[in-house]
Amino acid sequence: MMSDEVTTSSGASNANRKVSPPNPSQRAKRVRLVPLNPLDMTGASSQKTALALIGALSTIIVIGAWWALTGSNGPIPDLYFASPPEVVKAAVTYMTEPYQGSTVYGHAISSLKTVLLGWLAAALVGVPFGIWVGWSRFARWTLYPVFQVIRPIPPIAWIPLALMWFGIGEQSRVFVVFLSAFVPWAINSMQAVESTDSRLIQAARVFGATESYTLRRVVLKTGIPTILAAGQIAMGNAWTTVVAAELLGAYTGLGYMALTSSRTLDIDILVMAMLLLGLIGALLSAIMKLLTSMLAPRGVRL
Amino acid sequence: MSTNTAEGAEAATRNPRKSPIPGITLTLATFIALAILWALATSITGLIPERILPGPEDVATRLFELVVEPFAGAALGGHLLASLQRWGYGVLLAAIAGIPFGILTGWVPPIRSAVNPIFEALRYIPPFAWIPIAVIWLGASLESQALVVAVAAFPPIVINTRLGVTQIDSVILKAAKTLGANDRQTLWRIVTPLVGPQIVSGLRIGLGNGWMTLVGAELVVGKIGLGSMIVKGQATLSTPTILVGMAAIGIIAACIDYAILVARDRIFSWTRAQ
Repeated sequence: MMSDEVTTSSGASNANRKVSPPNPSQRAKRVRLVPLNPLDMTGASSQKTALALIGALSTIIVIGAWWALTGSNGPIPDLYFASPPEVVKAAVTYMTEPYQGSTVYGHAISSLKTVLLGWLAAALVGVPFGIWVGWSRFARWTLYPVFQVIRPIPPIAWIPLALMWFGIGEQSRVFVVFLSAFVPWAINSMQAVESTDSRLIQAARVFGATESYTLRRVVLKTGIPTILAAGQIAMGNAWTTVVAAELLGAYTGLGYMALTSSRTLDIDILVMAMLLLGLIGALLSAIMKLLTSMLAPRGVRL
Repeated sequence: MSTNTAEGAEAATRNPRKSPIPGITLTLATFIALAILWALATSITGLIPERILPGPEDVATRLFELVVEPFAGAALGGHLLASLQRWGYGVLLAAIAGIPFGILTGWVPPIRSAVNPIFEALRYIPPFAWIPIAVIWLGASLESQALVVAVAAFPPIVINTRLGVTQIDSVILKAAKTLGANDRQTLWRIVTPLVGPQIVSGLRIGLGNGWMTLVGAELVVGKIGLGSMIVKGQATLSTPTILVGMAAIGIIAACIDYAILVARDRIFSWTRAQ
């Protein structure tokens, strides 16, 4: 819902790729691999190097342009954007000095704690929920419709209600993050159960497996990659949502830091908080990807 | 879904005497039971205070009030239109910028390599983190909220469009050329049918993200809109207002998603089979 990942469509494309015969370009690649010579700078490898060079160059140009345009003598006024040295200086300063009660570390850890708690709680509730809905006809027709009715309400829109229920504090933030992470956990677990090859289930039944044994040893075993893939999406959702929750109901966290600094027009702190949010978001995503590939090496089936 | 119904049919044939209760009956019973439980716990016994969860008739009364008389600057319809307008501007901006951007970066590898590092770096910044800086740049206005919506809707549109473009098999294009198709025919008969559904998938995610982000932006800044309505409801400790607003936000989100799916099935009817 919130993630930009194109999991379903790319999954479909993978399936297509399996069915279709290898296309000529792939065949050509395989042939090219035979005369492997590191000094051979023609063809695909040199093209790759050129593209990487373009990427590096453009990054340097963008950072250079940022530097040139901002700062005391740049055309963009200090009020609108901070220059790279100012951002670095703000980061260095507030690593040791507290800003609004805690250092940058403190705020980052506060955000991370909320995210991890909400994400974990969502997994603990969402995975059994999804498995149940996917497995039992009763749950499918009772719980699932209720879930479907509530689902379109964005987790963000729950913030005011959460504040009414729990007040400003950790609890309401964890609750909102929980809601945002719950949906991918539940949906993927449901799909994992549903997408199990029905012949496998029938075979297990023929051999006399009980319902719970079939569920544990056949359905969940084949579905684990799909369930694990949810963790990544859920983490992305959680990290996005915690920022919104901190803009409204918090006195700590990177989102709170961004909002407060914008109110006092400390644009260097604001830009630093934004970049830090992006950096930690990217790191979390990379960690989740790594974990998924370690725990489900056969790859993710969606 | 399909495996489930197949299992149901199978169970029915296995044990013909014990026919299961129709699913739709179960669903109806669930909702009726929940409604009764809600009324019982709130207005009838008063077990749950109105501040935590108001009774059904409180919410219904509040809905009627919000429709006819202004609250926090406008009636419900006014808030709804204000939100939809900002959302519309934002997603329009994202689509106008994102689709060509996705096509260009998908089609020309050097441009993709040049843009990708920055795009990837900025993509991970949560859209809500742009709210404070958007307010500094453009003030608490329609423009700043539309900008945040566009920031949220842009990445999925770009990523899906690009995926669609890069998935086009060059063999198909060569075949078209061999068979004598001109550029226009190639574009309309081959590229568009292949990339179109992917663009629509991107739009679907982008439009949903945009709506969610708009609500977030309205919670933080702004004087009018569904998001600010529920924040005012919270400030005045009026839980019924929050619930009405949440329902409106959810219904709009569901309508947006449904409209896109219907449009996709109409325009790209061949994708329905998949």
